[in-house]
Amino acid sequence: MPAMLSTQPHGLPHPHMQTEQGPQQRQFNPYTENGGTILAIAGKDFSVIAGDTRQSEGYSIQTRYAPKVFRLTDRAVLAVNGFAADGNMFVKKVRQRLEWYRHAHAKDMPLRAIARLIQTMLYARRFFPYYVYNILGGIEEDGSGAVYSFDPVGSYEREACRAAGAAQSLVQPFLDNQIYFKNQTPAPGTSHPTHLPLPTVLKLVIDSFTGATERHIEVGDGLEIYVVLAKGASTQALEGIRGIQETTVTNDGERVFIIQRELKKD
Amino acid sequence: MNTFASRFSSTSAGAELSKAKAIAMEDDDFSDASWGSEAGYGSLAKGVPTFSIPSVADPTAFLRLHTDDSSDPNCRIKIQHGTTTLAFRFKGGVIVAVDSRATAGSYVASGTVKKVIEINPYLLGTMAGGAADCQYWETYLGIHCRLHELRNRERISVSAASKYLSNLVYGYKGMGLSMGTMICGWDKTGPAIFYVDSDGTRLKGDLFSVGSGSTFAYGVLDQGYHWDLSDEEAQELGRRSIYAAGHRDAFSGNTCNLYHVKEDGWKFIGNYDVSKMHYEGPGDVPGSAGVAYGYDIRVEGRSSADS
Amino acid sequence: MDHFPTNWGRPRNDAFDAYGTYPIAQHPRNAVDVFADGVQRTQQPIVTGTSVLAIKYKDGIMMAADNLASYGSLARFKDVQRLHPVGDYTVIGAGGDMSDFQYIQQMLEELVTEEFASQDGHTLGPVEIHEYMSHVMYARRSKINPLWNSLVIGGFKNGKSFLSYVDLLGTTYTASTIATGYGSMIAQPLLRKAVEGNETTLTEEEALKIIESSMRVLFYRDARSINKFQVATITEKGATISESRHLETSWSFAEGIRGYGSQTQ
Repeated sequence: MPAMLSTQPHGLPHPHMQTEQGPQQRQFNPYTENGGTILAIAGKDFSVIAGDTRQSEGYSIQTRYAPKVFRLTDRAVLAVNGFAADGNMFVKKVRQRLEWYRHAHAKDMPLRAIARLIQTMLYARRFFPYYVYNILGGIEEDGSGAVYSFDPVGSYEREACRAAGAAQSLVQPFLDNQIYFKNQTPAPGTSHPTHLPLPTVLKLVIDSFTGATERHIEVGDGLEIYVVLAKGASTQALEGIRGIQETTVTNDGERVFIIQRELKKD
Repeated sequence: MNTFASRFSSTSAGAELSKAKAIAMEDDDFSDASWGSEAGYGSLAKGVPTFSIPSVADPTAFLRLHTDDSSDPNCRIKIQHGTTTLAFRFKGGVIVAVDSRATAGSYVASGTVKKVIEINPYLLGTMAGGAADCQYWETYLGIHCRLHELRNRERISVSAASKYLSNLVYGYKGMGLSMGTMICGWDKTGPAIFYVDSDGTRLKGDLFSVGSGSTFAYGVLDQGYHWDLSDEEAQELGRRSIYAAGHRDAFSGNTCNLYHVKEDGWKFIGNYDVSKMHYEGPGDVPGSAGVAYGYDIRVEGRSSADS
Repeated sequence: MDHFPTNWGRPRNDAFDAYGTYPIAQHPRNAVDVFADGVQRTQQPIVTGTSVLAIKYKDGIMMAADNLASYGSLARFKDVQRLHPVGDYTVIGAGGDMSDFQYIQQMLEELVTEEFASQDGHTLGPVEIHEYMSHVMYARRSKINPLWNSLVIGGFKNGKSFLSYVDLLGTTYTASTIATGYGSMIAQPLLRKAVEGNETTLTEEEALKIIESSMRVLFYRDARSINKFQVATITEKGATISESRHLETSWSFAEGIRGYGSQTQ
């Protein structure tokens, strides 16, 4: 304690009691970390956005089913990871803005506009950030699959794939290798494909999560994979997939599917 | 009116809403514009951006506590940081070259960051420091440059644009913004570069490099810089400087993005992989000698390491 | 400008480094601000309640909490009710600061009264109460002035049971078993083992057995607990909160314990 002048007379300390050095300090920390991992991969005419469903705090599993991936429109899906309360509130506010946009313009907001909206909404909290890593996936107006990834205060970038959350450092290098073919040399006379087909991407997503579940304690329980298909894209790859459900709302042409899978629960 | 009566007398939806807001203490104050065609503008719906500040005695200390990963590597919110950027003026215009790595702590958060922000067809800004700060405020600057055009029927000068940004960030001084940016363009006075940072510094100059790799970039830049460089030589110098920084600075690397600003606006020259430049060179591009930048090629067969 | 990237993006500490002149290697660490003592004290819980347990079973939700409110390590109030009915379909249980919980009770009372007074054919069920509480708790944490509680919200309405959690940070989740505080470490594994997968088959008697055995373990091991608790059930028939009850305990196992670790005598 600094020597401070005080007009307040301090009570005499009890002779047998140790005087506390100032009051016990317990600063309220408005953030926590709820674990889990999210990931998104863009294809030529589709986008896949996935997340596990475990919610934890420290070593405690709070619930085995708390979704981290949310359908925003028929062409946009948002995954949030970090502090769950901030994440849920942020999704709620994005959806509110999208609804207002629908009322004003009688159509859904395009993906790149949603991305910019998310930037300005995150940056509005520059000095009291949402502790949330966002990944936005969907279909652009030109029909291409897209993934946008954000940092907690709103810097963003369009990419082909991105993993975030607890196991990002496990999953992202795997994706770099399998999607961007980093550190791989093509066989002589051949080249790496620029876009992977949907069945390959789905396999990579499932493998990423089973792998992350094995090696990270905060990942597991359940897996939710959203698939957004561009107008006219073939649904062939999705036929016969176990536990698939369509969640499309409009007749604009884009279609949204959700695949639910179990992950190990230990 | 007694409190019991007043509690149950309000019947309008507005009163209900304001009461709910008082209990839940919503921070957001939306104007009617938020419901209309301006609904998509995020915090800009009201024209001026507004920011929520945590209600603690020292908001800056709060932000530092939760985002300062240099003091506390376990801090939760790791803000992405950008790294080596350079720009220089010469007879043929302005060369802008940057790397593409973003780091959060020691994790390489991205290797594909666009650190050149295209403010408008005549203005470029570079990104060093907080990625979001640069992206957001330079986009915001773009809005105001356009408004300047509409009001004055002429393009904004590089000087005025940079001063707008400098004044803007100065208003947030000490609150945690972090940007070291170069505003580059071509106006009535010819090619121009202004360095603007979040401390409020604004400098006019011929040659700047910003970021942790700037010392390495300056080393190459200074020895090769000349006003009378040809376009090709100038582009090669920018590329070679970023390569040097990417090679020697751990926080820089991945790829180099190269831009050239001329009288008719900026042009994107190309994207070059730093590793590829090291082993194979930048490829068949104007100004390149077509050989690898790495020094091992220069000692090949002559060094004891090879025998 | 500090050119070292790990120093970027953060506010300068004016107390140490007003002009950004610190050499890179000596960048100041986050030190405890000695003047902060005189500035503001964010609240801490004073009179506290411990765990709340709740499970789903065949007919609805069963919830339990003991009657103790502690003042630090002092067992200060031994007849506090920590389960509170809200409307006709919901019970809310609370751990943490009891004065904040009483404030929440008042707030909910007002909400329910207002909803009743409007007579619009709507009644608040557990889902609505949960949504309301999550917003209140999140808004208060965002004001850095939290209501220092962990809340468990259980209810049954329109043939559907609902069980959820909200805490001082605004964190929420639903699950078929919930335990707060100390119970999340001691009782939660017991509850999960007994309930997960059996939510639709457990009878009230079986559910009560599970709750009782968990409360007993908590009483053995949680020093801030008391052997006097209430059990709430929320079913199709409405919400009932039992009178205070206590459990038979056996401490004979303690006879055989001669200390831990190397101490055997």
